[in-house]
Amino acid sequence: MTPRRAAPTVAAAVAVAALAAGCGLPDGDYFGRVPDVRDRPRHLRLCNSGEPEGLDPATVSSTTAMKAVYELFDGLTTYDLAGLPEASLATRWDTSADVRRFTFHMHDRGRWSNGRPITADDVRYQVIRVLHPSTASVNADGLAPLKNAALYNAGAARLVLRDTGALRAGDVVEVLAVDGKTLDAWHAAGDRVPDSNLRRGSRPLALRDRGAAVADAYGQVPPGDDVQIVELSGDPLRPDADTWAYVYWNHGDGLYGWVPLADLDVAPFDDAVYRVRRRAPRDTPGVDLSPAELTAPDPPRPAVEARGADLMALPEVLGVRVPDPYTVVFETSNPTPWFLNLSDNRILRPTPREAVSRRPRRWTDPDTIVTSGPMHLTAWYQRDRIELTRSPTYWDPDEVKLDRITLYAIDDQSAATNFYFAGGCDAVSSNQVPASYIRALEGRYKDFSIEPYLGIYMALIQTEQFPNRHLRRALSFAVDRRPLPTFLQGGQVPTAQFMPGTPIARLSDDDLRLCGVTRDTPGVASIMISGELCYVPPPGLDFDPERARAELQLARDEMGADFPTHLVYRFNQGVEGHKLIGEYLQHQWKEILGLDVDLEVQEWKTFLTDTKNGNYQVARFAWVGNFPDAEGEFLPMFRCGSPNNRARWCNPAFEAAMDAAQTIQDRKARLVQVREAERIMIEDAPVIPLYVYVQTNLRKPYVRDLGLNLIDQQPLHRAWLDPDWRAHRDGAAP
Amino acid sequence: MIRLIVGRVLMGVVVLWAVATVAFFALHAAPGGPFDDERAVPPEVMRNIEERYHLDQPIFTQYLHYLGDVVRLDFGHSMKRQQTVAEIIRHHAPYSAKLGLFALAIAISLGVLLGVLAAHRQNRLADHAAMTVSLIGISVPSFVMGPLLVMIFALGLFWLPPARIEGFTSYILPATTLGLIYMGTIARLTRSGMLETLRQDYIRTARAKGVSERGVVWRHGLRLGLLPVVTYLGPATAGLISGSFVIEKIFQVPGLGYSFVASITDRDYPVLTGVLVFYAAFLTALNLVVDIVYGVLDPRIRDRR
Repeated sequence: MTPRRAAPTVAAAVAVAALAAGCGLPDGDYFGRVPDVRDRPRHLRLCNSGEPEGLDPATVSSTTAMKAVYELFDGLTTYDLAGLPEASLATRWDTSADVRRFTFHMHDRGRWSNGRPITADDVRYQVIRVLHPSTASVNADGLAPLKNAALYNAGAARLVLRDTGALRAGDVVEVLAVDGKTLDAWHAAGDRVPDSNLRRGSRPLALRDRGAAVADAYGQVPPGDDVQIVELSGDPLRPDADTWAYVYWNHGDGLYGWVPLADLDVAPFDDAVYRVRRRAPRDTPGVDLSPAELTAPDPPRPAVEARGADLMALPEVLGVRVPDPYTVVFETSNPTPWFLNLSDNRILRPTPREAVSRRPRRWTDPDTIVTSGPMHLTAWYQRDRIELTRSPTYWDPDEVKLDRITLYAIDDQSAATNFYFAGGCDAVSSNQVPASYIRALEGRYKDFSIEPYLGIYMALIQTEQFPNRHLRRALSFAVDRRPLPTFLQGGQVPTAQFMPGTPIARLSDDDLRLCGVTRDTPGVASIMISGELCYVPPPGLDFDPERARAELQLARDEMGADFPTHLVYRFNQGVEGHKLIGEYLQHQWKEILGLDVDLEVQEWKTFLTDTKNGNYQVARFAWVGNFPDAEGEFLPMFRCGSPNNRARWCNPAFEAAMDAAQTIQDRKARLVQVREAERIMIEDAPVIPLYVYVQTNLRKPYVRDLGLNLIDQQPLHRAWLDPDWRAHRDGAAP
Repeated sequence: MIRLIVGRVLMGVVVLWAVATVAFFALHAAPGGPFDDERAVPPEVMRNIEERYHLDQPIFTQYLHYLGDVVRLDFGHSMKRQQTVAEIIRHHAPYSAKLGLFALAIAISLGVLLGVLAAHRQNRLADHAAMTVSLIGISVPSFVMGPLLVMIFALGLFWLPPARIEGFTSYILPATTLGLIYMGTIARLTRSGMLETLRQDYIRTARAKGVSERGVVWRHGLRLGLLPVVTYLGPATAGLISGSFVIEKIFQVPGLGYSFVASITDRDYPVLTGVLVFYAAFLTALNLVVDIVYGVLDPRIRDRR
């Protein structure tokens, strides 16, 4: 026997041994081991989908990080089991008649883990942090509806400190140019823009908490070093001897701190010449507008010049105010009916100034973190696990059913599923089951489920390369979406609609009534406010070979010699399903339309860059919403100026419809208008929706009250483990 | 010997500079940046981010900054995680090293044993069996071997954990998977080295002197027969200890290999360049060690200069 012949023999022997060891799927109701939890009924172990990039609510953006962040930091509202906002630090809120002012009334029982009460100022501080350029937060965009948020973030908003020329103290202005050059020109030249907020001390500056003694300083800025004023205590228009300044020192990892304003005695850009323009009434904080004023054209606002000494970038320019320690008021430029959906988001969860200032990049390390949520961070082992324990200072201890949560960082799907199988974790974060397992698990084990998810899988069309709408419509009509789940094997919901949601067939009777549909209506719908508001997206251009061919003929007639005989479909590597979809589209477009399609695969970041730059013809893409609102989360990607408009589709009728929706105050009437905008978009086919994403979930049978919802946000601390689950299995859960 | 070492160290510095430079420019030339995602960031927001990470400066200025930092052994901050590169290396490298050393122990002990056995019983059943095992080790890729071992020992028998590192036992499966690949090569190298050695005159002399068979093989034969293995061990050790991306992913070992690959897909410039320079330094040092050990094992090399 030579080694060459021996190898297969041995390999076969190993395989037989593997089978003998019982590698087939286990019998029984549950997938793998169900460990006994009698000795740890208040400890949940979750297989999280990987290593969070951080734990700072102002800067993190991954769903992986959210699992920990939402346990560590409380919000004005938090996610309920359905994933919709419910009262937390705020007990109630009011919306102004023009839907542009939102007042949150907070209770006084909230405590940071260092014992300090959580106040409205902490919420305002978070807004400032997310938007201040020094934070460099990727989330800044999320607060764009607030008055002047984007302008402040771009360093182009200023408060007028005293009457000068045509400007009045308290005016908010937009910076057009400094010292004769526009901001863009400054940036293009690679130079730092002269900043009227920069100051220096002729003596060392002692950075400290507001009001603290010099001896308690945690940072010393040497004389002559630049610091940037972020905020002033009291009324910035009337500074006095007691006024303190909160400054940023760009040194090392950066440091923030308070110093008496008088210590900042050198102002290098007092004489810089700013060319500014007053903001429109709708963008001015504190200004209410009647519906007529809201739609009226802006009065002319001439550009004027002002000195750096008279201007400062301060939070007062933003649409956030704190009239008393337990009330916070937000103001948006346009009516923003979905504002409540921002109030539970990380970007509005307060963060503790005293901890952030001292270590801006590292304050969330276990030894320095200050938290406000039901759980506190006790340990963070990089790329291994995060340990959370019940916070002794949380204001609502009765709601906390767990003493401890362990989040394992497992970013490999097979590893996560295997680890769950062996009993290593009690639940797996959604979508961590490999596609190849799903068919074997679905319908067979009671601890496995597939639920809809607020995400849409689509093919985007680069409309500058394919300006003919008939051609685009033909491409959409030619795709039969129904077979997608059979070859993707994941329980996906085929759709031609753009806005994702729950399949109508799966809605409760009450929700059917709310949405005004019957159970046999095809498509999906999303519940935006339980019992109050439902959105049914317009039907898309679903499979219709006749219409596809008719549209194609129209395109051929209109385009003549420009008609493409052949197109390129591009997708990113790493996911088997993208390739399968590509091959399926290739087949459909060839068979129905006779078009030749080339497939191109690209590495992820290259793919992102190319699609962003319009360097593609048709490409796979996906969009996942933070909350179920077409106007707030899904349709903005088709606005002309949106950085997310990879389809490069810019349609005046759609723009007008979206603008019209913005001014409507009644939510239901507004939804009708939004639906019309979506209809205009989908009829023009810059996008070919293919399926609604689903989430796969594995949860041991003893796990109770771990919510399942469209956006996969669960209040983990409300879950609990039932050691006697076997006894309760057949009866109702206790 | 001293001249050899000094020369190699100087050479190493040049290699490190070259690695740092190539890595820096190659990664910056790749499309996309660390902050590109499905949800695109508006240009104004991106400008703040680029300013903070100095990505707005000309590429050569960035390079000079970076080189200055490297000389001061400051590899900077990760752009995707909140840790510094030094912390990332310090935290993750020990996991890879432990896994690698464990695998190395398995590879060397089993490999040498199989190799000697095969050489000693050339063309007999033991030889064929040993070489079959080594062939399996070499030819079955770790992404097959790993899941196979998991299926049997973790999901079938529940003897060992299927993933994550928690205590000594969780190293067994990944270390075996990793070690088997190297074991195969070591067994083959040992076998051929031993076969050649056992035909040498001095072995015949030893036998004629009446040295026992065990003495001939293990004392006289092995020392020279292992030379090819030693040569191989330098890069093999480096490869083992620096971490295997595939195995670290399959078994979710928080090692450096996986962080390294993730930094490429994330375009996390500081982490990638930092870890690469660390790897290069490590590899250079190991090669130096091999040269020295070679000299100790083979007097001809030591005396040549």
